[in-house]
Amino acid sequence: MAKKGRKGLTRREFVKAAGLGALAAGVAPGILLPGRSYAQAKDLKILVWSHFVPRFDKEWFDNFARNWGQANGVNVTVDHIGIAEIASRTAAEISAGQGHDLIEWVASPSQFEPSVLDLGDVVSEAEKKFGKQLPLCRRTSYNPNTKKFYSFCHGWTIDPGNYRKSLWEKAGKGSGPTTWEDLITYGGKIKREQGIQLGIGLSQEIDSNMAGRALLWSYDTSDQDEKENIIINNPKTVEAVKYMARLFQEAMVPEVFAWTAVSNNQSLIAGRASYILNSISAYRSAQKEVPEIAKDIYFTPALKGPRGTGWSCEHVIYNYIVPKYSKNADTAKKFLLALVENYDQAMYASELYNSPAFFDTPIPSGNRGYAPVKGARKLRDLHNAWFSDDPFALPGETKGKLLVLKDAEKWSTNVGHPGPANPAVGEIYSTFVIPNMFAGAARGTKPETAVAQAETQIKSIFAKWREKGLVGGTK
Amino acid sequence: MNRVMEGAAAVPAEGARAGVADRQGQLAPLMIAPAIAYIVALIGIPFVMAALYSLSDVTTGDPSIDFVGLHNYREVFYDPVFRTALSNTCLFALASQTLVIILSRILASALMQDFRGKWLARFLIMLPWTAPIALGTIGWLWMLDSIFSPFDWLLRRAGLLGAPGVLLGPMPNLYWLGQSGLAMASVVLVHVWRLLPLATVIQMAGLSSISRDLLEAAAVDGATGWRRTLEITIPLTLPIIGIAFLFGIVFTFTDMTVVYVLTRGGPVHTTQVLSTWTFFRGIEGGDLAQGAAISLFLFPVLAGVASLMLRMARRAEVT
Repeated sequence: MAKKGRKGLTRREFVKAAGLGALAAGVAPGILLPGRSYAQAKDLKILVWSHFVPRFDKEWFDNFARNWGQANGVNVTVDHIGIAEIASRTAAEISAGQGHDLIEWVASPSQFEPSVLDLGDVVSEAEKKFGKQLPLCRRTSYNPNTKKFYSFCHGWTIDPGNYRKSLWEKAGKGSGPTTWEDLITYGGKIKREQGIQLGIGLSQEIDSNMAGRALLWSYDTSDQDEKENIIINNPKTVEAVKYMARLFQEAMVPEVFAWTAVSNNQSLIAGRASYILNSISAYRSAQKEVPEIAKDIYFTPALKGPRGTGWSCEHVIYNYIVPKYSKNADTAKKFLLALVENYDQAMYASELYNSPAFFDTPIPSGNRGYAPVKGARKLRDLHNAWFSDDPFALPGETKGKLLVLKDAEKWSTNVGHPGPANPAVGEIYSTFVIPNMFAGAARGTKPETAVAQAETQIKSIFAKWREKGLVGGTK
Repeated sequence: MNRVMEGAAAVPAEGARAGVADRQGQLAPLMIAPAIAYIVALIGIPFVMAALYSLSDVTTGDPSIDFVGLHNYREVFYDPVFRTALSNTCLFALASQTLVIILSRILASALMQDFRGKWLARFLIMLPWTAPIALGTIGWLWMLDSIFSPFDWLLRRAGLLGAPGVLLGPMPNLYWLGQSGLAMASVVLVHVWRLLPLATVIQMAGLSSISRDLLEAAAVDGATGWRRTLEITIPLTLPIIGIAFLFGIVFTFTDMTVVYVLTRGGPVHTTQVLSTWTFFRGIEGGDLAQGAAISLFLFPVLAGVASLMLRMARRAEVT
């Protein structure tokens, strides 16, 4: 059967060839890429999210990282991933014990504390050079129980209210809402008379998480107190939940139960929302896609609750971690300091989406890639100037629309407020306990029951992380 | 075994030079070894790891394993979201596969007939099976959008939606993914859409294996179409229908994409399934141990289904 000289392969030849092929495939990488098994001293691998403002990555960050690498003799690799993949990718790299030297999160990565380096030295060095770090940034990167900086927070994003001025003017409140109750009074009126609802998510996604927390804090309650004790089940939470049920009935439609991360932008740009809670990205998108809508969009600071408290949740908070497996930790730390040093460019390239964690950072001299701002010496000066006169405003657009966001750090806070971010509030966030509590009541569950159900879940989550020593509090 | 020995003895001339390729007793295990290695590496080891994780307190941030016994299973079982996810998983699988079997039977019968454009029809029906699940589901997400749904547009154009007193109410949209009942129906619909082609092909294979003589004899004896279907076609194709059903159950039971893309388990967990809840709890929430415990609840059901499938496959072969 297996005669030589026949055309084609005999079975024996096929098996041999297949075996050799498999062997070659397995061994070849080791022969061809011997250097792969050794860590190179001057390498830096960075994993960052794909920024919501595309030009940030394309026009600035990638170039900045490459240029910094060239100037410092470091071979820098930047990989971008979608926001939804950050958690699973980080978990995979930590589990494998290899991967990127720097991983950027857009939330607090507190659950990774046991597997990452303490970045307290970078924070100290940064504060020495660039002044005090913003408290909300510190609270999302520092564990007061273990006294460890599990991440380095370089910036954050403001989450104001965005409203359509023309609709609110017709309803008799052209300056936009100032209290949560205004959303029912005037937002409800707009829905009844003009047929446009407002859009505050009650769904299993990030914007709903932020909106729900902003409402709780503005009603002087939260999931935890400053010492990380659970306080969710109290009359003020029930009051906030009752409010949300009323708001849904009066001013919203069931689309909010199917809200996604793009729904804010989509509904505002489509002219189907009188008010949303979102960063300025929805407005920026409207400027590019539907300028006439963009010209009608104005902003409000955090809305006030029944006792005059008003808080907004940071929209995105940028945290870098350095996993313990990294062989280039020192290089990574130098890069972080360089990033803060050049944050004026980050602010500009993000079209003011990014706000700095270190407002007192001096502005480097020379051509910075934007029109110089007279008298500006620190990031604070730039921030004030740009929010007073938006460099990205459309021709003919009203000046000073962003002015109300100038002091946003005073009414913005972190997930976990009034305490620090921690793995328990992180898991509550990731499993959507708070938006589901509000959504349950909006769909007919008794508010007291919705709060009690949320408390049961929160207690179970806290107990688990307390056992690991990563969360404080006793109650 | 004897045949293998005989085979080996049949090549005495090359005996001295005979390699592994000629020793069938060695060749068989060698050929099957990659498949076994593949299964062990990609199914066996992850399964053992999941079992280990579920008995530990491992998190995404702390991969060290400290055993906690059955604590995670107890926690998971008393979690109301888990119970909702478990019942939804079963409901979506059963509802979608029942529909798939009925529709695929009708489609298969239609496609067995001769008509113009038959190949085009077959091609179009197979298309959903060739598209990646995530891509297809994103398409459905747009179709079921709260604002821009073309279904809503059609209903408005037909005068059934968006005006006072009309059948489906005065609101301009149905909010497919924002109302529990519609969201659940949407999940079932997408599962039906993506699994219908496979079931149709399986049913067509079953139908084509029935002897034409038998059907013609029944027709000559006066059996009507319904009677032939109920008393000949269905009984003879039952094993293969069972295989299509069980395949679909496995695909639906283990799928995460449809729910994750369409609803992320909302509104208020009413479309949550075990695979998405595993992901939210284990990966996004960081509690890998509880995530593993949730995912292992799938195992007994899937093991039972797999065992049934093997039995039915054997029956189908005999038939």
